[in-house]
Amino acid sequence: MILEKNTKKQLIELFKSKNIGLEGNIVKLIDSDGDEDFAAYLKQCIEKDTSTRRKRLEMTKQVQSQNAELTKLNQENQKMMEELQGTLKNVEESKATFEAQNIELNAWKDENLRLTEELKVEMVKAEQAKIAAENAKTEAENNLDIVQKKTQFELINNIVKVALYVIIGVGTITTGIYVYSIAMKVDTDIIGSTWSNMFGILLTNSFSIVGTILGVKYGATPNKEEK
Amino acid sequence: MIDSILLVDDENLFHLVFEDSCSLLDITLSLRSLNSSDEAAKLFAEWQKDPSGRPECVFVDLNIIGSSFDGIELIRKINFEYGNHVVIGIISSSNEPGEQAKAVQAGAQFWIIKSDEIEPRLEEFKKDYDGYKNRTSPFKVYK
Repeated sequence: MILEKNTKKQLIELFKSKNIGLEGNIVKLIDSDGDEDFAAYLKQCIEKDTSTRRKRLEMTKQVQSQNAELTKLNQENQKMMEELQGTLKNVEESKATFEAQNIELNAWKDENLRLTEELKVEMVKAEQAKIAAENAKTEAENNLDIVQKKTQFELINNIVKVALYVIIGVGTITTGIYVYSIAMKVDTDIIGSTWSNMFGILLTNSFSIVGTILGVKYGATPNKEEK
Repeated sequence: MIDSILLVDDENLFHLVFEDSCSLLDITLSLRSLNSSDEAAKLFAEWQKDPSGRPECVFVDLNIIGSSFDGIELIRKINFEYGNHVVIGIISSSNEPGEQAKAVQAGAQFWIIKSDEIEPRLEEFKKDYDGYKNRTSPFKVYK
């Protein structure tokens, strides 16, 4: 590109007065066409543009580098956030599990308490049943004792009755024979001694029987101390 | 010097870096930057009918966020759907041999690794450019 002489002059004056020069790749396309002043102007513009571009390139690279670093940090932050969220999720899951286990444990605890209460009630019932059984046993033993004693008394009564009948019968018969002998004035020496012997034996036996009965009676009755 | 360059990259800051680097290294005087592969594909579809304004060389980012397809697919489309008349390659921070093999299959001629110091790689690329233009240089990775 070749510019007109007047344009070149105006561009050089603008650069000198306000430091405004041509910028960008267009400067590289302009030919000075042997004009030394304009060639110097173009050289200055190119140097200025190169310097500006170099500064901008360095700054852009810095920004790019910082951006890359920020992007990396952001990715790390996101990764950490994801990890934290994962951890939080795990904690929440654990919490939910613990809560479920806690509810289950509480249910078990309530069930245990209920069973314990039931056991206590059952134990009280069992204790009462035991006492009732012991009472029943004692009562049964007492009843059995009474029945035994009653049987024994009945037996003794029968024995005593029979014995008394025998004694009274023998006594009556002997006495009758003895009285009859006296009334008939028959010799009563033998029968008299026999009667007295018989009577003595009967009395002895009677007392023996009475003593045996009393002994059985009081022997079968438990002492107050033993009670 | 390359007549015109098209940069397809989703990172706007890299547009500035690339523009300044190209200007400082006198790589090109005409640079156009796009943010998406869809937009680039649309332009190449138009340039297939009317080639005026079509760039001489295309730099494509590998992963273009917000686009329907990645850089390798864009290169495949430009080479096999819209006509193979440009020098084209990948400019990416990735250095995966698997991806580079895919890029070669799609017709990429170079792979420039993006980093803080992009200028030395662009300078080396500038030296090799004629080989890419006349299709004599093999695929090369600028590390």
